[in-house]
Amino acid sequence: MATLAGNAPLVTRRAQRRLGILLVIPVSLIMVFFFLLPLGNALVYSVVDFDGISATPPFVGLDNFREMFADDEVWHALGNNAVWIVIGTVAPIVIGLSIALLLWGVQRGSVLYRLCFFLPYVLPPVAIGIVWGWIYDPVQGVLNRALGALGLDALQRGWLGDPTWALYAVLVTAIWSYTGFAVVIFVSALRNVDVELVDASRIDGANSPSRLWYIILPQIMPVFLMVLTLTLVGGFSVFDIIFVMTGGGPADATNVIGTYSYNQAFQLSRISYGTTLALLITILSVPFAVGLNKLQRRLSLQGTGA
Amino acid sequence: MATTTQSLASLPVEPEPIRSSGRDRASAPRRRGLLLRHVVLAAMAALTIVPVLLAVSTALKNDEDVRVDPFGFFTSFSLDSLRRAWTEGNFDNYLVNSVLLSVPSTLLIIAVSTMAGYTFARLPFFGRTVLFYLVVLGLLVPFFTYMIPLYFQLRSVGLLDTLGGAILVLTSVGVSFGTFFMRAFFSDLPEELEQAARIDGCSEWQIFVKVMLPLVGSGIGALAVFTFLSTWNNFLVPLLYLPGGGYRPLTAGLYTFMGGRSIDVGPLAAGTLITILPVIVLFVVLQKQVTAGFISGAVKG
Repeated sequence: MATLAGNAPLVTRRAQRRLGILLVIPVSLIMVFFFLLPLGNALVYSVVDFDGISATPPFVGLDNFREMFADDEVWHALGNNAVWIVIGTVAPIVIGLSIALLLWGVQRGSVLYRLCFFLPYVLPPVAIGIVWGWIYDPVQGVLNRALGALGLDALQRGWLGDPTWALYAVLVTAIWSYTGFAVVIFVSALRNVDVELVDASRIDGANSPSRLWYIILPQIMPVFLMVLTLTLVGGFSVFDIIFVMTGGGPADATNVIGTYSYNQAFQLSRISYGTTLALLITILSVPFAVGLNKLQRRLSLQGTGA
Repeated sequence: MATTTQSLASLPVEPEPIRSSGRDRASAPRRRGLLLRHVVLAAMAALTIVPVLLAVSTALKNDEDVRVDPFGFFTSFSLDSLRRAWTEGNFDNYLVNSVLLSVPSTLLIIAVSTMAGYTFARLPFFGRTVLFYLVVLGLLVPFFTYMIPLYFQLRSVGLLDTLGGAILVLTSVGVSFGTFFMRAFFSDLPEELEQAARIDGCSEWQIFVKVMLPLVGSGIGALAVFTFLSTWNNFLVPLLYLPGGGYRPLTAGLYTFMGGRSIDVGPLAAGTLITILPVIVLFVVLQKQVTAGFISGAVKG
């Protein structure tokens, strides 16, 4: 028995290593060929001037990066990214948490409610873009008609065609589709909140804002940070919904780095410049993701320790 | 570390709380509060669902009504738009192509992620950490960072405009998340199980297939639904890497159809309905798995 236990680990370790290597071969091949190689090529593209045709594009050093920092449209697009990140993070979290708090303790119909709130999140962006295009339609659109019916004719406009409003119109669509995700996550987090603690604080005379701030929020902090991380990082790399709804227009008004990069690369055949722009987003968003994830991990470890 | 994921993983599988039923039958003011909650919730749920109803309503209008009042809710009924989208709009082909793209890539993602997830959770070897960082990097870097070089790379090896190429790209997009997800499930399984099986004479392969694999069934189910939905919804991959239009799925078909939005609202709405209907049906039927999948996916990721 003792000899068996003494010998097994070595033999076992060898067998585990053999199977382990065998089992990661597929994922390694796929990741290297379809991710690492193109990512490496992206770095190469950023230091040459590639138009998509030339077999030997000339080396230009850091010219693409220099152009990027001098390009006004980059700063404009980054500004739009910033607007998107701030509003697109705060709104789903606030609305999602409010709905989750309303749903907390409600039993009858709770499945149906969750179904309604979560459904937009699983729909394809293309379909979402089309339907919201109809809602924002200048003449027949549901929104303008509703405003007309309420006597708010002054507010009617072609939402997606108006440079000042288009970004916010698309943002509302994104918030609509994303909030359900926050709802479902918060609902499940609230289930683990100690209800007796909340009731005790109510008896002690704590009002609902302070109950939320001092009792509930600390208990769901890890999940809160996780939603924050996902929305923040998503805000940096936003592309699909803007691409479908406005393509960055009208007149670049809704451009974010993602759509600007796409248009440079595929419409103007400026492959290298487009790729450099895309790299910028990666460089900006990865530290955020890593930092917030670390913080979240530390908090959830504390949570289990307590 | 292991305990963290364990406690977090227990989130979605937890049953409905029994204690909160005490809140439902309560004193009169509490009951009024509950009623108010229901009113607010119902109003918000209705508002949330309006765009979905709009798609259904517009798709089911007759030709004249679509021209006059395309976005009035349920003012007429006809299947003409659906029929036209199906036959003239090519949505019958698009539907088949969507299945041809999403089913194989979902199966591939599940197979590859399960194998890799098991290794990263339980089979240590030299160099494993480096590979795991590669997988994590795949989660962090947005797709559009490398989608342009990938286009030229596929073209140079002859995978552009092929079904196989598109399936492989879809697989690569989902495999990072899948691996990460399955790793968390395998990490949660107790060490003793593995040791007991080993003493019983199981080989490492048998431990994986016969002992561990059956225990992560719920994880595989959640990943399957999640992956299927995201490959079904993906439009950028087919749009970029199937530029010739062969094997064009519903999403990319809809996108190309959008050009004539003001002219052909009826078939466009019908196409939208055809695209989202499978998603809605799957979502409603598998509601528990979908939400559980998204929750544990988000929490573990």
